[in-house]
Amino acid sequence: MLQFGKFVLTRAFLAAFTLVIISLVVFTLMEFVPGDCAERYLAFKNTQGSGISVEDIEIERKRLGLDKPFVQRWTLWIVNAFQGEFGDSCILRVDIAQLLGTKFWLSLGICLSSLVLAYMIALPVGIISAASSNAYLNNGLKLISYLGLAMPNFLLALMIMLFSTIYFGDTLTGLFSKEYRDAEWSIDKFIDLLKHAWLPVFILGWSATAFALQTVRALMSDEIGKLYVTAAAARGIYGRRLLWRYPARHALSPIVNSLGFDLNRVFNELPIVALILTLTDAGALLIESLARSNDQQLAGAIIFLLTATIVSLNFLTDILLAVLDPRIRKSLVH
Amino acid sequence: MTEQNQLDILQNSLQDQKTKEAYFTASQGQLVWARFKKQRAAMIAATVLVILIISGVLAPFLSPYDPTIAGRDKDYLNGAPNIPMFCDKNGCSIRPFLHTIERKRNLATNFRWVEKVNEDERRYMQFFVTGSDYKLLGFVPGNIHLFGINEGFVHLFGTDASGKDIFSRTLHAIWTSLQVGTLGVFIAFVLALLIGGVSGYYGGWIDSILQMLTDAVRTIPAIPLFMAIAAFIPQEWTAEMRFFFISLILGLIGWPTLARRVRTHLLTERNQEYVLAAQLCGASSSHVIRRHLLPSFTSYIIVDLVISFPYMVLSETALSFIGLGLKDPVNSLGVMLQKVTSADVLLNYQWYFIPVIFFITLVMAFVFVGDGLRDAADPYSDNKK
Repeated sequence: MLQFGKFVLTRAFLAAFTLVIISLVVFTLMEFVPGDCAERYLAFKNTQGSGISVEDIEIERKRLGLDKPFVQRWTLWIVNAFQGEFGDSCILRVDIAQLLGTKFWLSLGICLSSLVLAYMIALPVGIISAASSNAYLNNGLKLISYLGLAMPNFLLALMIMLFSTIYFGDTLTGLFSKEYRDAEWSIDKFIDLLKHAWLPVFILGWSATAFALQTVRALMSDEIGKLYVTAAAARGIYGRRLLWRYPARHALSPIVNSLGFDLNRVFNELPIVALILTLTDAGALLIESLARSNDQQLAGAIIFLLTATIVSLNFLTDILLAVLDPRIRKSLVH
Repeated sequence: MTEQNQLDILQNSLQDQKTKEAYFTASQGQLVWARFKKQRAAMIAATVLVILIISGVLAPFLSPYDPTIAGRDKDYLNGAPNIPMFCDKNGCSIRPFLHTIERKRNLATNFRWVEKVNEDERRYMQFFVTGSDYKLLGFVPGNIHLFGINEGFVHLFGTDASGKDIFSRTLHAIWTSLQVGTLGVFIAFVLALLIGGVSGYYGGWIDSILQMLTDAVRTIPAIPLFMAIAAFIPQEWTAEMRFFFISLILGLIGWPTLARRVRTHLLTERNQEYVLAAQLCGASSSHVIRRHLLPSFTSYIIVDLVISFPYMVLSETALSFIGLGLKDPVNSLGVMLQKVTSADVLLNYQWYFIPVIFFITLVMAFVFVGDGLRDAADPYSDNKK
């Protein structure tokens, strides 16, 4: 038990350390964006008709604390970030935590559901296809899963949208119907969300499935050839029982281990799909803040939140693996 | 037993011995190739891939027109593909031809341009025609194009909104995307070898620190990071500078997966007896790495490179697609894909989708070849089946 506690502590420390490194990277990147928040805000004011001068910019800089040295600002940013405070957006002039709030959770929900969908399909299909020697089945699965990798997500999204517009007269865009968009959370709103969310989940899930299927298959066919499986078969275990109890258990641990990175991959594709389906989630905000308006404060907050989620997921899967597999727990402590 | 029979047996055993000897003395490359040849899907993919690469390299020669605004056909905007034919109602010809298209605008057509095909007039296809100047691979000058037409323009894949030939653009786009991918893979590869190699060979605390770094880079979602970095590209940068910058970013983000594999492999290999033997003989670290460790996993590295290639192309596409990567005057597959997203194109100008088919084919070909190579490079793959 003590050993396990030590393991959890080491992992937690490592996760926190990774987050600090990433925050440094993100913060430095934000610094590199041409122009700073003060200039951007006053430039906006200028378009509204009020004249500005160099002194105004300096005063605004002081107000935002931009005149302090880099390290000090970074420390302040990271301390606030861990408390969920990201300051105000440069362009929109609203509190970022408030702006992102539910949007971020919605994005996370969409990504996690597509990941769940992907593994629900990929695990059984991958295991069966690795075990079977049917060339047609294997090649067919290969083709479908590679098509999932090669076919750009946005194209799939576009085609489904076009199809539904022509045949059902519904564009399937957005996450909520008009009447629920600003409504309080309720059962009805949730049902409405489910009605809209299946499409992004499906689109993101497709390529995730393709990827997961490939991994599961490769891992399983590696394990199936090993001697312990032959030994188990020699003892008279066969069929599904043999597959699930011997090679599948071994193949599963690298998969659990890489869940965090899988989430990363799904997150990656979210902004593009969101752009096409006009979802009002964090991904779309990210594109908006980077591509259109250079809003570094908002972009940094979103990237930090994403990576924090992935790091925590990695931490959780590490703990889960250690619970499941004593070899890992023992190997890491000393 | 007759004499003839005995001779046959002798010959057979000789033949057997020869194949066995060929097998035992074959180099690693020959073995991999022999196993690769057996896989039909991978061989088909390899053929397709070679064709695509060649058409990318020879794009300026194979395409009839300049892919930039200089080669535009201003009388045929958003024009449908022209399909050369051999026969029409007036009979057949060996040389493929197109019908003449007449454009008219008058009171009867409500002052809009209306195109009418004149089926009695033919325009014949010409081969090896002299056209716009180009430089193959950037330095071989030329002005001969594989095909053209004796009057007007021929657009096999139609034209886009500014009258640029989509066929020419697609071929050039394949070349650009391949270049970005190669450069990105190369940068990622060098970084991966360095970082993975150092961490795998030395192990210990160096390994721990480098692994932490690798994991940190792997944790940052790539596309948002791409977007953040790409947003810094000043608008006034030239197409070439953008191009190198994008490749650089792709490489800088793509290395962790490969580095991890290099490290894992080195960690197992460095404890093998042959490494110990070399070290006992007094070989230096660099000698052991170059002469013993690197050759032990060259094939794995090649396979990994081929496998990571399509992801580079995909990333480039995604980046160009959201408008942060390469931009319009440059022809890359991402730029071409970006064009298909408007409803107008979906409903009216479906030929914009032709580059998409090329894109999917290219990625699929790479993935299948990589897969085949992986199976071929694994000496135990035969035993498993």
